[in-house]
Amino acid sequence: MTVDLDKRLRPGRDYYLALGLEGSANKLGVGIIRHGVGEPGPHNSAQVLSNVRDTYITPPGEGFLPRDTARHHRHWVVRIIKRALADAGVCGRDLDCICFTQGPGMGAPLQSVVIAARTLAQLWNLPLVGVNHCVGHIEMGREITGAQNPVVLYVSGGNTQIIAYSRQRYRIFGETLDIAIGNCLDRFARVLKISNDPAPGYNIEQMAKKGRHLVELPYTVKGMDISMSGILQYVDVLAKDMFSSTPKKNKNLVDQESGELITPEDLCFSLQESLYSMLVEITERAMAHVQSNQVLIVGGVGSNERLQEMMELMVNDRKNGSIHATDERFCIDNGIMIAHAGLLSYRMGQTKELKDTVCTQRFRTDEVWVNWRDD
Amino acid sequence: MASTALSYQLEINVPFESAKQATIACNTLSPDPILKKDELTVDYTTSGSNLICLFQGVSDRVIRVAISNVLDNLKTIVECIDEFEGKEDHIFSK
Repeated sequence: MTVDLDKRLRPGRDYYLALGLEGSANKLGVGIIRHGVGEPGPHNSAQVLSNVRDTYITPPGEGFLPRDTARHHRHWVVRIIKRALADAGVCGRDLDCICFTQGPGMGAPLQSVVIAARTLAQLWNLPLVGVNHCVGHIEMGREITGAQNPVVLYVSGGNTQIIAYSRQRYRIFGETLDIAIGNCLDRFARVLKISNDPAPGYNIEQMAKKGRHLVELPYTVKGMDISMSGILQYVDVLAKDMFSSTPKKNKNLVDQESGELITPEDLCFSLQESLYSMLVEITERAMAHVQSNQVLIVGGVGSNERLQEMMELMVNDRKNGSIHATDERFCIDNGIMIAHAGLLSYRMGQTKELKDTVCTQRFRTDEVWVNWRDD
Repeated sequence: MASTALSYQLEINVPFESAKQATIACNTLSPDPILKKDELTVDYTTSGSNLICLFQGVSDRVIRVAISNVLDNLKTIVECIDEFEGKEDHIFSK
């Protein structure tokens, strides 16, 4: 790599520190990261000094609404920043920059957090760095797993994308045509009144482990893209029939072979199997396209162990295939990934004036100029 | 009545402890655009240690909604100032 990442090094120091603020959905995260001087790599890996998160959890059957989520973030943001600084044991003067999620995400929560970022940046006279949420996930995934140039499957509550790097952009090879996979799982959990604590997807996974029968669901891969709203509609109808007080004879609610009734656990199992098979299919096709044998799974749904397992089965059948995933600390939205990706762009000289720090709900992964890579 | 007339106006005056604090608040609030410019405008200025927010809108309703949002943001700003101003060298305890 010939990129010079050390244009901004402070005299007398051999490292950088960044504070990252994330609040694009229902997680509020603040993290502090340290980069050693020089080219990042296996021998010079970033150090996580603190990574604090607080999740806005709604009652079973309810999703999180932008206004309420923004209120949650406003309520906690200052305390979480203090806790992150305390955990890291660093003071404001040690920081090089403040990084914040500029998009994509929900407007009100994003805005509630950038207000704190702008105020703090002025109080402590620090530059601001706007970070694309998806790029934050990708860079943190690469850093933690050491995957050099993987095909990235980015799966979360708001996004479903297959991404590969080419010429300083993370390019989108395939994506959802309607709703995100996490959104599909969350909304299914609401119909079944599954708890949102710690996360609906986690609880679906636990229930799915007890599933015995596979209910056939629509399978909707369209080229490199997938569609999930029809599947959600289909399982919603099944779930409603299951709980209706005047049970209609739905033949899909009886297992064809054993004649046993389909349970909510079976539905969770079937939904996971169908959705994840679709993801595995388009990931494999993207790998063939770009001739890569590495897969990196990022995003909240990426912490699902069944998805990781299914992906691994596919990858192991490919020559020299390897799969990389992170655990919930780095998979699920967090401040540290924003600090990490932000610090990379800070080191390349990309900072924002206050007037350019407006958040945007739509901010595609491939809009970002990845000038810290030149491979 | 011309469709562009913003006939409802309200000015709120927020006192801060210093001119610097008022400027920080003003700079923090100013960047975010108003989505429906033909229905509402908000101008932020400072006068000494005061932040002055001028709301002009087509109805009292749009002004009320906008103020509520600005006050929410101001709460975060004031909390940040209270907790972090002058504490660049402070190590926070757990």
